[in-house]
Amino acid sequence: MLARPPQWLCVRHIPALRRALSRAASDDPRWPGWAVVVGIEVHAQIKSRHKLFSESRTSTPDQPPNTLVTPFDAAFPGTLPRLNPKCVELGVKTAIALDADVQRRSAFDRKHYFYADLPQATRSPSIMDGRLQLGDGDTSVRIKQIQLEQDTGKSTYLPQQRASAIDLNRAGTGLMEIVSEPDMRTPEQASDYVRTLQALLRAVGSSDGNMEQGSLRCDVNVSVNRPGSKFGTRCEIKNLNSVKFMQIAIMSEVRRHISLLEQGAPVPQETRGFDEDRAETYSLRSKEDAPDYRYMPDPNLPPLLLDDTYIARMRASVPELPAATRARLLALGLARRDADVLMDVDAGRAVGHDGAGAVAYFDAVAAGRDPRLVVNWITHELLGQLAYRRETFAQNAVSAAQMGDLVDLVRRGFVTGTAGKVILREMMARRSLDMPWQIAQELSLMSRGDGAELEKWCAEAIAALPEEAEVVRRGNEKVVNKIVGHVMKASRGTANAQAIRVTLLRMLQ
Amino acid sequence: MIRPRWRGSRHAPSLIRHSSSHGYFSGSLEKINASVNALVSTASVLPPKRTGLPLSDFTVAIKDNICTSNMPTTCSSAMLQEFTPPFDATVVQLLQDNGARIIGKTNCDEFGMGSLNVHSLHGPVVNPHAPPGSPSRWAKRERRSAGGSSGGSAAAVAAKMCTAALATDTGGSIRLPASYCGVVGFKPSYGLISRWGVISYADSLDCVGIMARTVHRAEKMFDTLSVYDARDSTAAKPETRERVSVLYNMMQQWRASFLPGIRIGIPQEYFPSELQPEILQPFYHTLSYLQANGAELIPVSLPSTPYALSAYYVISSAEASSNMARYDGIQYGLNASPPEGTDTTKTANVYAHSRSRGFGKEVQKRILLGTHALSADAFDNYFLQAQRVRKLVRADFDRVFRTPNVLNYEDGMEPPATGPDRVHVLLHPSAIRTAPPLPRPDSPAQEQNDELSAYVQDVLTVPASLAGLPALSVPGRLAEDGWPVGITVVGQWGCDKMVLNVGKMCELAVQ
Repeated sequence: MLARPPQWLCVRHIPALRRALSRAASDDPRWPGWAVVVGIEVHAQIKSRHKLFSESRTSTPDQPPNTLVTPFDAAFPGTLPRLNPKCVELGVKTAIALDADVQRRSAFDRKHYFYADLPQATRSPSIMDGRLQLGDGDTSVRIKQIQLEQDTGKSTYLPQQRASAIDLNRAGTGLMEIVSEPDMRTPEQASDYVRTLQALLRAVGSSDGNMEQGSLRCDVNVSVNRPGSKFGTRCEIKNLNSVKFMQIAIMSEVRRHISLLEQGAPVPQETRGFDEDRAETYSLRSKEDAPDYRYMPDPNLPPLLLDDTYIARMRASVPELPAATRARLLALGLARRDADVLMDVDAGRAVGHDGAGAVAYFDAVAAGRDPRLVVNWITHELLGQLAYRRETFAQNAVSAAQMGDLVDLVRRGFVTGTAGKVILREMMARRSLDMPWQIAQELSLMSRGDGAELEKWCAEAIAALPEEAEVVRRGNEKVVNKIVGHVMKASRGTANAQAIRVTLLRMLQ
Repeated sequence: MIRPRWRGSRHAPSLIRHSSSHGYFSGSLEKINASVNALVSTASVLPPKRTGLPLSDFTVAIKDNICTSNMPTTCSSAMLQEFTPPFDATVVQLLQDNGARIIGKTNCDEFGMGSLNVHSLHGPVVNPHAPPGSPSRWAKRERRSAGGSSGGSAAAVAAKMCTAALATDTGGSIRLPASYCGVVGFKPSYGLISRWGVISYADSLDCVGIMARTVHRAEKMFDTLSVYDARDSTAAKPETRERVSVLYNMMQQWRASFLPGIRIGIPQEYFPSELQPEILQPFYHTLSYLQANGAELIPVSLPSTPYALSAYYVISSAEASSNMARYDGIQYGLNASPPEGTDTTKTANVYAHSRSRGFGKEVQKRILLGTHALSADAFDNYFLQAQRVRKLVRADFDRVFRTPNVLNYEDGMEPPATGPDRVHVLLHPSAIRTAPPLPRPDSPAQEQNDELSAYVQDVLTVPASLAGLPALSVPGRLAEDGWPVGITVVGQWGCDKMVLNVGKMCELAVQ
């Protein structure tokens, strides 16, 4: 049996392995005798200050409608597009992060359809074609192409007035359309793909990749076939608002296809929506209704020419990607679970734009210290306390310097672990620049337990717990822990637990 | 929702009211316009003259497809009848910065589509020219077309309503009316003058150009307008403009007043059967003058010329269908509510009513043809094929000109050597005939013929449009029927100065 490859290795170098894995995926007990094929088209909003072709600022959903609109966004006559180079940069960096070949020359096309949410009835994609691979877990999904497009505005139907309200704030915002090959074989692989892609986009900084807020949208193509036969007719599912719903939608669609095929009916090629309440897909439009977009090269936008110098510069500025981060953390000796915890914080929405993420925080604290010690303090204590206080990592007030100092104090025995936790909680409450040793002195938490005082506390504890003391005298050493606890309380955590234990056992011989 | 604010005066076809009793717009100008219908809006107030600026002495009229924020910009269309843009076109701003005073907006064919200036919400423009020795009073002169689509601009200049006028040329829309009205019409190289604020008909062909009574004045306007504008992504970059001026000097081009040594190409394909004989005499007269003063006349061949007209109409209609798609009456423009019972769930059904009411027949026709040319089935045979023809047309010009086309090679590359058999400029008649009579409303059969012949008028002008080359129409002698004839000078891309200089020579031929 082949050894399982380490999980961060891109399988693209081992085609045979990839094929073996994809064959294995077709024996899914949920639909025995059937193979599932999934491809995903992701539209990710580009995280630029300005829109793709106009100087308008990009918007957030909470802004009042039609306040971030220039005449160009509203397709006023006489206006012309001007390509935002920042959008190109972020698109190119994303392509580089996805291991794609960036086209040296791309052209913009107009796409024609009548709909109120994009008034000039055009979209302008630029094809940055790529053969590339994305590693997610054990499988690799190839990316067919990456394009830059304009986002549409928002259309809200008002049933009372029987009218649609149009908000053009979002119209013209840059989008990256990332189209995958149909390489996924299970709903779980599809979710994995989307989550990995989200983490990558956030790491690159090119998109927030947030499905609930609309900065990431997925259209999923699903088909089924008998193993060994060619791919079946695919249906597209649009307007999926979360990874979870996407997974449910895929399963529902697979079952629908299988049911049709088992009855001997063909699967009509359709575009479908997803009803969240009923957890099933429904038809939006059939192949016959599919519009002819009449693509035409856009005469107002010259072709985009990228030279090697530019691409090299972009490559150099792509930040560390998740796969590389994970590899680095594990190489430092961290347990996989701890690495995951740190990276999950960064992958989530909890990171501010200017604030460093959890991994960067860890890197700063771990510099010159034992990484395993540091990661425990961060993942167990700091994150734990933040959760208890219902705060996100972005709201963490304990600086890397403060954290590092605390770790040092405990390691060198100046405070006990327990005292350290008290200090941490104190720092989080104060939200100040006070260093741990300051706080330790203020609260009298510096370790004590030099002989005389320790003996005194032990004697008092033994006197206070005569029954337990007797049990220990008789030979049951385990019960001494209760007396240790008593001493700890008396010392308010400043005495070292090990030292207490040793002293007590000696006194109770 | 942006509500356009109507400023300037409103009018019925061929009538203009005074917008204010203190207006500069004098009685005689009003009377002229009543007969010519060149102006469709007038500025309510003319700013005071500012001396010392390049265009201090210029009053200028602006074609109504160029955005002005203080006057409506209708494109002679019902769709934009009430529309006042929230911004000024770059060219308008430049004119004002250089001291020109803008008197009003001129009539044109709707959205620039037409060759006779009869497809207009504001009614047709009537050519102000009256042949010498015409028996009747001027207002009763023979009603002939001023040409299109910039008929209003040409007529305003010809009737001396203003010093000069701005217009646009997509397939001949400046050169043709200039020829019919007997004025100078200049279409510069594509990309030299900013199109920001110019309402698009076909973006790869549209050029802002100038009409005036002399080449000298047209050149003064051109010099102030030929400026790089970063808001127009199709504008020629400063490096490119620099490259062409370096090349110009390197090639040791002759100076303005120095004809000997200039080689003028006469393209053989520009004398189609449709060309009416009365055009030739004035054309030969100018040629003889040039030759007598030292120019060499050389016959040249541009073999793709017969295909240029069809290619032009496919490309321009396709691009027009794309540009016209924005007019849906939602953000601005005419909004016609669909009647009761319409299925309003499909957006297209709602838009169709505004668009059918707002667009004239000619615009609708071109939208339909253009949409067809871009449809999946037809794309290869029409749109793509037209682009291939366009490439051939460009290559024809590059083969005959002495000056290489700087757009074809990059900095640092050696410009290709061009042989001694090449020419500096081309010369040809601007139009196949003199100004046609205006169609009468009560002759449908004649109109049918006129429809096709209207398109044929463009046959001599579209090749330079397809290739983006500078082209200047200069008045020659009057034809035998007493009507103006234009002579066109065409140069290589970027050689606008050379073209203007030859134009000045041609002017001398008729003085």
